[in-house]
Amino acid sequence: MSDLNLHVPDESLDLVLERTVDVPRALVWRAWTTPELMERWFTPAPWKTNSVQLELRPGGVFQVTMESPEGDVMEHEAGCILEVVPERKLVWTAGLGPGYRPLNRTPETPFVFSAEISMEDFEGGTKYRAVAMHSDVEGCTLHGEMGFHHGWGAAFDQLVALVKGG
Amino acid sequence: MTNQLGLDRVFHALAHEVRRTIVEQLGNGDRSVSQLAELFDIALPTLLKHLEVLEESGLVQSEKIGRVRNFRLRAKSMLEAEHWMELRRKEWTTRLDQLDEFLMELKKENE
Repeated sequence: MSDLNLHVPDESLDLVLERTVDVPRALVWRAWTTPELMERWFTPAPWKTNSVQLELRPGGVFQVTMESPEGDVMEHEAGCILEVVPERKLVWTAGLGPGYRPLNRTPETPFVFSAEISMEDFEGGTKYRAVAMHSDVEGCTLHGEMGFHHGWGAAFDQLVALVKGG
Repeated sequence: MTNQLGLDRVFHALAHEVRRTIVEQLGNGDRSVSQLAELFDIALPTLLKHLEVLEESGLVQSEKIGRVRNFRLRAKSMLEAEHWMELRRKEWTTRLDQLDEFLMELKKENE
């Protein structure tokens, strides 16, 4: 897949997840690029998807509106599709708006990320990779996220809860 | 991933009531070994062992001034940064778990 110019991850700032599924690549691509299909899986539970806007072309809009378990709607500013290689690669960013207009970071858009999804045929199924690139992690921690404001105290409480729970 | 390793050590460090209490205390300000010793009904070598685990995790840092060893919480950003990344990883893992499940449904619908 060298012709796709895939991102070389920076392990301190990027998350890389690779999956292999026994599903044709065309279907994986559809799941990633069809708003009605994305609504059915994109938002991590217990949050759910309220709506998805996706224009499959560079400069096109990418926006997922999520809803908290309490019913609060979290509207991120619309992001921008950067690259589309049908059935092989999709790149979008939350750092630019539709039409590449730069976005400022605000308390409502607490962190900026870009994501690169790539896929290839693999043993009758599909291997896909998702890379989430982040700007600066330290800056991100200064802001709340998904309505949850975590300063030092809350982060520590969460860690302790995790340790106790695990 | 190095972040992951660091987090494992942090979790291990926090997996003990005494060590959690120490971290909470240091959240209020620096403490010497003897000040910390007053808080617990445990032998000094045991306390020192706990402090060693905390220091190895990077959560706390000690400095010897004269004959007194002082402990303080290290830059909070380290833990926050790792915690933040861990939340992101969880988000993406859940997302892709949901996708993989959905893909199997989609495949069945298409068959």
